[in-house]
Amino acid sequence: MTISEHLKRSALPGMAVAMLFALVLGSWLFGAEMADLHLQHRQRLAVLQANALVLAVADTDAAGTRKRVGEMQKLEPRIESVIIVAGPQLLASTRPGDGAPRQLKREEKPLYDLSNLIRTARETNRGEEVVRKKTIQIDEMPSGRLVVTLPYLSGGEFAGILQMQFDGSGYPRAAGDTFPFPILLLIAALLAGAALRMQTQKKVDPAKLIALVAFLLIVLFYQQQQIGRLEQVVKQDNRAIATQYLASAEQLDRLGYLPLLRDPAGVNHWDTDDYERPRGVIAADGSIAEEAETKQLARRAGFIRPILWAIDLFAVAVLLFFLYGYAGRAYAAFREHIYAYIYVAPAMIGMLVLVFFPFSYGITLAFTDTTLFNESLPFLDRLIGWGNFKAILGDFNIYQDTAEGIIWNYQNFYWTLMVTVVWTITNVVIGVSFGFILAMVLNTEGLRGKAIYRVLLILPWAIPNYITALVWRGMFHPQFGVINQVLQMFGLEPVAWFDGVISSFLTGVATNGWLSFPFMMVVILGALQSIPKEMYEAAEVEGASRWQRLRHITLPLLKPTLIPAIVLSVVWTFNMFNIIFLVSGGEPSGANEILVTKAYKIAFEQYQYAYAAAYSTVIFMILLVYGFFQTRITKATESF
Amino acid sequence: MNKPMRIILVIGGLFLAGVFGAAQAAELVLWHAYRGAEKNAIEKVAKLYESRTAGTKVTTLAIPYDAYADKITASVPRGKGPDVFIYAQDRLGGWIESGKTVEPIGFFMDEATQQQFLPGMMDAMTYKGTVFGLPLNYKSITLIYNKALVKTPPKTSTEMVKLAKSLTHADSGRYGLAYWYTNFYFHAALMNAFGGSVFDKNGKLVLNSKETVASIKQMMKWYKQDGIMPSEPSETLVSSMFNEGKVAMVFNGPWFIGEISPSIDFGLAMLPVIDEAGKKPMRPWLTIEGAYISASSKQKEAAYDFAKFLASEEAGLILALEGRQLHTNAAIYKDKRITGDVVLNAFHDQLNSAEPMPNRAEMTMVWSPATTAMNKVVKGNATPEAAIKEASKMVQESINALRKGR
Repeated sequence: MTISEHLKRSALPGMAVAMLFALVLGSWLFGAEMADLHLQHRQRLAVLQANALVLAVADTDAAGTRKRVGEMQKLEPRIESVIIVAGPQLLASTRPGDGAPRQLKREEKPLYDLSNLIRTARETNRGEEVVRKKTIQIDEMPSGRLVVTLPYLSGGEFAGILQMQFDGSGYPRAAGDTFPFPILLLIAALLAGAALRMQTQKKVDPAKLIALVAFLLIVLFYQQQQIGRLEQVVKQDNRAIATQYLASAEQLDRLGYLPLLRDPAGVNHWDTDDYERPRGVIAADGSIAEEAETKQLARRAGFIRPILWAIDLFAVAVLLFFLYGYAGRAYAAFREHIYAYIYVAPAMIGMLVLVFFPFSYGITLAFTDTTLFNESLPFLDRLIGWGNFKAILGDFNIYQDTAEGIIWNYQNFYWTLMVTVVWTITNVVIGVSFGFILAMVLNTEGLRGKAIYRVLLILPWAIPNYITALVWRGMFHPQFGVINQVLQMFGLEPVAWFDGVISSFLTGVATNGWLSFPFMMVVILGALQSIPKEMYEAAEVEGASRWQRLRHITLPLLKPTLIPAIVLSVVWTFNMFNIIFLVSGGEPSGANEILVTKAYKIAFEQYQYAYAAAYSTVIFMILLVYGFFQTRITKATESF
Repeated sequence: MNKPMRIILVIGGLFLAGVFGAAQAAELVLWHAYRGAEKNAIEKVAKLYESRTAGTKVTTLAIPYDAYADKITASVPRGKGPDVFIYAQDRLGGWIESGKTVEPIGFFMDEATQQQFLPGMMDAMTYKGTVFGLPLNYKSITLIYNKALVKTPPKTSTEMVKLAKSLTHADSGRYGLAYWYTNFYFHAALMNAFGGSVFDKNGKLVLNSKETVASIKQMMKWYKQDGIMPSEPSETLVSSMFNEGKVAMVFNGPWFIGEISPSIDFGLAMLPVIDEAGKKPMRPWLTIEGAYISASSKQKEAAYDFAKFLASEEAGLILALEGRQLHTNAAIYKDKRITGDVVLNAFHDQLNSAEPMPNRAEMTMVWSPATTAMNKVVKGNATPEAAIKEASKMVQESINALRKGR
């Protein structure tokens, strides 16, 4: 049995590849989550201590601060050093030989800048009434040390930063990964696959169904079990941190600082997130708030589940690819045309780097909420799922029905889509009809100076459209534009071209019509010249009129050339950025924006990168759907 | 050893010497978007700096303006690009918010350096209380008039309207006053006179205020009721009318001076006091170019030292006299060559009543809706109240999309 036959018959390869795929991605995801939990655990312990320090020195002067910091550091040996920076001054330091208080040294500029950064972050969060900037910064050192920097408050006001170096190593890792478990699952899947023989001819085949069900059962079981483990670790961590909290609190009680640290309202201000907000999972008395913990678990699961669904979906697709014999056929084709594949490989690599990578980056970006303000956050923090697409496609606020009549909402996606479609159709119709008429004229036999006309008519196409667009924009100028000057010469009122929705639309159409007819003309002219003259002569002999010759000879014979040209020009016009952007700029009020120019403005005027990426993805989907129809139509015309 | 081999060795040695030699001497790279006289002036200043500090080499690179900001955004956060770059304050907020682009320099800056600048200049370089750049030059609009038509420039809005009315003959296309009043940048001078503004000090959008509405009404009074301004204003309309002697007074900036035809004898004066706004002067927005230190520069102290030189009196004189820039160093305006220069002096006077344009990233979202609102009001398609309310709503929506909580 050859490999390709094997691929068609047995469920084993499909099961193996799909299961490996699901398990590798799954264990990567869970591994990353586990590492994240571990990291968070260490960071929470460090932040717990740092917060305690800040709270303990909040009501004292510089000398008192130095004393208390020193005392607390002695109690907790994992606190390696503490420094406090206020403006350009090093206020306190437990590092030997630092000699605080003193001015910051030249090389300590980063501390000064960090202090400003955290002050600004606090002010921004307060001023905008939206918490979006981290006010606690945690840096991981390679040695397992953590450096926590947080605001140092004096009398409730921001006075500087407190930076603590904390020995975060030596915390027990969460229960070791059950390594053989995924292997066992893989073996189970392989056994199931080996046991199943498929019948290639049958569409409905019980073996395929069984393979699919077995696969899903194993994968879902694995994922459920892993989620359970994650939840267990989260709960363990909460309890470990509560224990540490109680132990530290007891120590501080002996120093007499505890009253400062305990919030009368029962909120634990030690265990906070990076935005100084209490997590609320551990109460002030060290007990676990069950409700908050349930929420914490749900949030994490809510983040993982969609990713798991995506992995499952993909794995099932891979499985079906194998089960239905596509893999076998692909392999056979590869073997047969191996040289062809080698020859296209360089081009494919180029495509991969230059096209597919930016393309998939754009699509990935569409599922985040990246804007100018948060682009420096880690990718997973920005992931939001389908939100952008819902916002774009689910917004049906297209018009408002007011007493003064209907007011269109020009910012709405569907309005822009409508404009884009009308824009495309109008332009293609104009381009084709002008191109056709001019080609017919140029095709006249015995026309003198044909070469000159042809060059002149191709000129608009030869001039960069950037320049043409700016020239036309000048011509439409309300005061000095040549078009209004001519109108006035005939005693007509000048038109404020860019103020009306329709007139502004027409400026774009005129410019693009000017730019697009030469292409159509050249294409049609070429096709016309390839039509044999004998056909017309024969028709004339038969007594066919001019119209009949056009209708029954010229048009049918033009069709095979014309349709691909139209199809192409639809795609070009749909995304004709230059003309809209440079001529009307979408005026008035963005009513004449087409989808691409709109996406550009969202990205570079409003800085909503992810939203613009989603917008572009929608444009791509529209063109993709159009592409499917296009191939159908082209196929239909191939018979001519 | 044969001859070719020797040649190769010699060339290789020279190459290596070149590499090491270059690595030893500090090389600072400056990016700017200047052309013509401004470019020559900044290059001269760079040469002067080189001659002052032995061993430092300054490479200046002029980038086409259209591509400039994007080039900074793309290269600097990835560790490439210049050590120092010059740009106006409008992009500063965006670069700071996205991070890893502009280095804070407050730590380097001493009191004397801060004090050497004209009032308001440091505000433009300061974002949320942190200093990010050294101001180099500023631009604002002022009153420019045709001396053949206006003997003494008006001090107040009442005087101005009276004078403008006497010079307006709409039938023959002559007007007393022209400026691009539908453009929000030009309108801001009037808005500020009434006490309106775009953001409050916490960054909250306060565009929709009765002050802003009052300023638009004032503009509409000049346009409709007094009829002293032409319709459909634009940059080209204003300059061509002024050059044809068809308009007596315009509000415009230093970029306009080069466009005035030699046949027109023009004068400059401060923008008038608005009687309707409680005798407050018009306060145009200042666009201030600053020198910023790249966050990815390997030699930030050296870069700062060079930027400081660009902002010094000595460099300021060269940039002002040869580059025709309005430099920010206060000391140069005591120099005889500057005090004798009518144009530079007039814009310096306008500084007494001007304020820096906001440097927040959110400002980019204001221009388009605000200008749309102005156009609607002028065309009579909306009342000032409704137009500003709608514009403010649109801007607020864009801002909310940007400022998402975590």
